[in-house]
Amino acid sequence: MNPVSQKLMRAWAGMGPGFLPFADAATPDVPLGRLLRLSLFQVSVGMALVLIVGTLNRVMIVELGVPAFVVAVMISLPVLYAPFRTLVGFRSDTHRSALGWKRVPFIWMGTLLQFGGLAIMPFALLVLSGGGNAAAWPSWIGPACAGLAFLLVGAGLHTIQTAGLALATDLVPPESQPNVVGLMYVMLLLGTVVSALIFGWLLSDYTPGRLIQAIQGSAVATLVLNVVALWKQETRRPPRNAGAVQAQPRPRFKDAWRAFIAGDRAVRRLAAIVLGTMAFTMQDVLLEPYGGQVLGMSVGQTTLLTATLASGGLLGFWFASRILTRGTDPFRLAVAAVFLGIPAFGLVIAAGPLLSLPLFVSGVFLLGLGSGMFSHGTLTASMSLAPRDQVGLALGAWGAAQATAAGVGVALGGIIRDIVATLASRDVFGNALSGPATGYTAVYFIEIALLVVTVLVMAPLIGDRRNVSFAGS
Amino acid sequence: MDDPNKVWPTGLTVGESEELHRNIIQGTQIFGMIAALAHLLAYIYSPWLK
Repeated sequence: MNPVSQKLMRAWAGMGPGFLPFADAATPDVPLGRLLRLSLFQVSVGMALVLIVGTLNRVMIVELGVPAFVVAVMISLPVLYAPFRTLVGFRSDTHRSALGWKRVPFIWMGTLLQFGGLAIMPFALLVLSGGGNAAAWPSWIGPACAGLAFLLVGAGLHTIQTAGLALATDLVPPESQPNVVGLMYVMLLLGTVVSALIFGWLLSDYTPGRLIQAIQGSAVATLVLNVVALWKQETRRPPRNAGAVQAQPRPRFKDAWRAFIAGDRAVRRLAAIVLGTMAFTMQDVLLEPYGGQVLGMSVGQTTLLTATLASGGLLGFWFASRILTRGTDPFRLAVAAVFLGIPAFGLVIAAGPLLSLPLFVSGVFLLGLGSGMFSHGTLTASMSLAPRDQVGLALGAWGAAQATAAGVGVALGGIIRDIVATLASRDVFGNALSGPATGYTAVYFIEIALLVVTVLVMAPLIGDRRNVSFAGS
Repeated sequence: MDDPNKVWPTGLTVGESEELHRNIIQGTQIFGMIAALAHLLAYIYSPWLK
């Protein structure tokens, strides 16, 4: 080691423990303040998600004039990283650290990746749009750097969320897990809503300088939020005999994955999560245009739909936390959520021909409620069923299934609507179905079918006492 | 306090402080690369704001 490094090392060792990010003690009770602080990582994830899917989607198309298909490719890049959440979870389970950390190094690395992506993103987007002096440079630089920025943000947010949820599971006793899941979801929603409002306000008077300030501001916010979130959270468990541990062969992902899949109907659980999540997300980008095109709602009214969906979700998280802490089977709750989803889509479909706004809004609210309860139930089940040495892998698998299904679901919803709408406008389904509602209705019917399949896949999972890890305690 | 491997007041061992140091160095390297790329892109867009 060179002399400068040695000097710096001595400086770390010379600092008081109060200035280093280690948890003071392993207490069985984690106070709410500490949990609230930990949940700040979800705020940073929500902020990155809304920036990519909402704000930049619009800015790239409207203000920067980037072709829609390039925007679609860029926005879908973060989803590509979602399946790797399983690997991140596994690596954090088996991480070898002299400091005795498993999750903190991953949250830190994820934070750096998200920070890096957001730091280069505004310049990459400006170059991508061919603005300023960019035309004098090779044209591949813009798309390549913008793609890299989106990939970095995707890799960062998936890593942060996987390791962060695993850390939350490590910290709290099983009977508190439903409440922690509720808190994590509420913070994600809060991060999404508050950031959307702030980005909207910052970019209402768009200039390239404002874009740089807004996105790079979110990069700094990521760093601050996540450092505050992870500070002194993880209990250090340094290996007793570091030399012997280092000499052992590393566990292989393939073996760990096989063991995970072989145990406790894991494939059925993951399939149910994929199907249910797709069923609850395919309409995500279709509700607002459906309201506008079919029901004649104004832009302001359709924006309120997002608020309706969010309040349904919040009520769902609250209700799920309340009944799951009483020992209800989380899969029973998830199936109940699916049964709420079926009439919700029925209301949304019926609102079209009846031109009824109250029916539509009630349907959207029920959808939010069902979706919130379903997400809560499946995450709580994944937490309580996770083997103690595979918490990261189990939550990584949940996250991979859920995030990939959501990404694919939203894309499929849009594609199916477009195809069916084009066919309907050519009178393929007859004159009665040639209106604008047909494309949307087709997607909603597919979602109802997916919900029915989800119930069939999930039903055998209900009633297993292991679903409630603290049952009888 | 009697463990010669540990350095007080943090109580970190040599291995632990090495790991901490490695993370700091790695973080600085990543930060440096990000800053360099961001500056290059800023230069491509508007050469030193001219």
